[in-house]
Amino acid sequence: MSEYAIEAAGLRRTYRSRTGWLRPQRREVEAVRGVDLTVGNGELFGLLGPNGAGKTTTIKLLNTLLIPTAGTARICGHDVVTETREVRRRIGYVFGGDRGLYERLSARDNLRYFAELYGVPGREQKRRIAELLELVRLDGRENERVEGYSRGMRQRLHIARGLLHRPKVLFLDEPSIGVDPVAARELRQTVADLAATGTTVLLTTHYMAEADELCDRIAVIASGTIQALGTPAELRRHADGRQVLEVEAYGVTDAQLATIHTLPGVREASVTVAGAAQVLTVQSDAGVDVQADVLRALDGVRLGRVSARQPTLEDAYVAIVNRVAAPSRPLEAVTA
Amino acid sequence: MKLLRMIGVGALLHTKQLSRSPFEIATALIVPVVQATLAVYLFRAGGEPGRLLEAAVGAGLMGVWSSVLFGSGGAIQNQRWQGTLEMIMLAPRPPALMILPITLATAVTGTYAMLATLLWGRLLYGVPLDFAHPLLFLLAVPGCVLGLGMFGLLLAATFVLMRNANALTNTLEYPIWLVSGMLVPLTVLPGWTGPIAAALPTTWGARAVHEAASGGPVWPSLGICLAISLGCLITGALMMTYVERRARAAATLALA
Amino acid sequence: MTALFRLIGTGGVIAYRALFNWTTPAMFIGSLLVGPIFQLLFFAYLGRQLGVADDRFYIVGNAVLAASLSCVFGGTMAVANERRFGTLGHVLLSPRSRTAVFLGRVLPYAGNGLLIAVSTLTVGSLLLGLRMPPDALPALLATLAVASLSCGFFGLTLGALGLRFRDVWVVSNVSVALLLLLTGVNVPAAGLPGWMRAVGQALPITHAAAAARQLVAGKGFAAAAPALAAEVAVGFGYALLAATLLKLFEAESRRRASLDTM
Repeated sequence: MSEYAIEAAGLRRTYRSRTGWLRPQRREVEAVRGVDLTVGNGELFGLLGPNGAGKTTTIKLLNTLLIPTAGTARICGHDVVTETREVRRRIGYVFGGDRGLYERLSARDNLRYFAELYGVPGREQKRRIAELLELVRLDGRENERVEGYSRGMRQRLHIARGLLHRPKVLFLDEPSIGVDPVAARELRQTVADLAATGTTVLLTTHYMAEADELCDRIAVIASGTIQALGTPAELRRHADGRQVLEVEAYGVTDAQLATIHTLPGVREASVTVAGAAQVLTVQSDAGVDVQADVLRALDGVRLGRVSARQPTLEDAYVAIVNRVAAPSRPLEAVTA
Repeated sequence: MKLLRMIGVGALLHTKQLSRSPFEIATALIVPVVQATLAVYLFRAGGEPGRLLEAAVGAGLMGVWSSVLFGSGGAIQNQRWQGTLEMIMLAPRPPALMILPITLATAVTGTYAMLATLLWGRLLYGVPLDFAHPLLFLLAVPGCVLGLGMFGLLLAATFVLMRNANALTNTLEYPIWLVSGMLVPLTVLPGWTGPIAAALPTTWGARAVHEAASGGPVWPSLGICLAISLGCLITGALMMTYVERRARAAATLALA
Repeated sequence: MTALFRLIGTGGVIAYRALFNWTTPAMFIGSLLVGPIFQLLFFAYLGRQLGVADDRFYIVGNAVLAASLSCVFGGTMAVANERRFGTLGHVLLSPRSRTAVFLGRVLPYAGNGLLIAVSTLTVGSLLLGLRMPPDALPALLATLAVASLSCGFFGLTLGALGLRFRDVWVVSNVSVALLLLLTGVNVPAAGLPGWMRAVGQALPITHAAAAARQLVAGKGFAAAAPALAAEVAVGFGYALLAATLLKLFEAESRRRASLDTM
């Protein structure tokens, strides 16, 4: 048994694509550019990053769906490229969204099918499936077709499917995407329970609270490389010495945001959209009061609540991610 | 044993999934009527009313092939659309074993076309269902279906790497109907098609089914059909392993 | 007026490119140009074997029919894919005349159908050794063009039905099979029962195929003219029907908010 459940060294992945057939153009996109990480047995490890940061690619490199362009990765000591089958025996993969299931089959049939595929012994199947249906609270509805399921139910069925063969390592790729808050909380509970029973979990998400609540350690990934790695408490320190100003506003322009960026003492500024309103979040050095300057820059914009607070993990995350990104980010770059 | 069980359960569940699709149901209900009608009227117009059973069986075989062709070509694409291709490829088994149940299922649903064509032929046009070897017919059809299902794997392997397999699929419907002698006897075709026909499992499968319906030694044709199909299965399996690795390198398993 | 024509023209071309840009030239040639040739050969050999009709009957008939696949599916796609890709709402919200937009969508598919029909006719004649009177060619081309257009409008009618019914592809699949059976292209109309012949009269292709056969047989334009006129009438009828249905279902969709449900 290897010391680590997951080891990756110098992982890189380039996508090649060709567009157009009259004048074919080759494009190369480097989605992952040198990822190193190790995850211990039984650890719940979070991979956090904005869209397009390389989270899903990293997961697919680790779970054998993609072959790395460079670098190596091992799962429980088995190489993902040369010992594919050994790796697959030991891993489960669950991704978010409502695809990936047989819509016109019942939950039970879906699980039966994948139990056969994943080599769950025949005499064990029935018990295992019943057990999992109970775990993900789908018992009682297991004979209904999946097409009638809600998103949360599908998500739970995905998890049951991923656990059929008792994987040592479970990859969860944004499992809570598009799931309502109540279902998401139940989902987190399920994940926490799993980790408590010794399953290693690698979770990607862009919900900060989820990562904060669940993960032993978090790696923040942006532009294909790991920008920071540590426990949630350690990551929070990236925002040490700062304070945060939040302004509810209606109609902040890119130009105004750029101006705010240049104000003395301002370290980060971003706008997220919450319903009809925008929320402008400004991080500044703790010693500098930027409120007056910021409000002046927003002259002419209708404003709502203005509040100052201590930085959270989310602010730390924004600080880390923005370090890599261009200094002035367009309005839609950070989405809630 | 475990392996057979896996293939069996897989094929069964895929058949279930396929035969619940409203598109498949509607197509399977209506297209055989059209095909049976076409065959019957052509044979009648040609002054060959004695060969109506042959026409109906031939039209049924055409339906089986269409199902395998569109099923195997489309199934991979469908798995990709449903997002299940990655999930089945993640199973710790040779990739060919993951796809074979699907191609078998498409062949099984294809038998419906055979049944429906015969049934419609009987009901609408009074085609006499006097098979030369009724029992052998009941054996030849599943045999042919099994063969075509294995052949489907070879097709599927070819299709995995191509994102728009559907476009190519259309092209392969008529030539196989033609060259395998499903409705048109091979004797009227140009000589150079002979070797191609002899190499296709569809030719021998169709021949076995025709022989069972109209008379002739069924076993040799059925044997050759299954032997060639097995060859296709092995080639397809080897290709599939290669193709899966290439797909992982080229990132074509997922939809995006 | 010119603006309207530009809208019809370029709108159509863009929609067409968007649908085909995923496919490679090999795929295009494979599925749309080679496929019909095999279909032609299949029926020609079947006809030879059964002695139903001569090669000319099948070559000409299947060449005209070759236009139908691309046109019928194209016309259906013109509406159905807009919905599938979630762009239908945008198209319907555009202030331009929707009927014009959709009728325009048909043009490129019809052009494509014409190309396929011409290619099928040429290759089929070369392969099976059919000679055509050279002076019949212009009229033949016009006939194929009319057939393509009327198929396109037929497809658009099916596409319009797609606004109302979810599984429009079943309808167009079945329709293509029906065209094969009922237009007298492969089964001589005389061999079909009366009611099937009657349905065939109202379908595109039927009259165009008859006209084309007259032309290839060297009977001259005058002999083909009545059938050609009938095909024009059928095509016009479907254009009208499609426009009416589009208007009707659009209004209904808005009322019932079923526009973007799949």
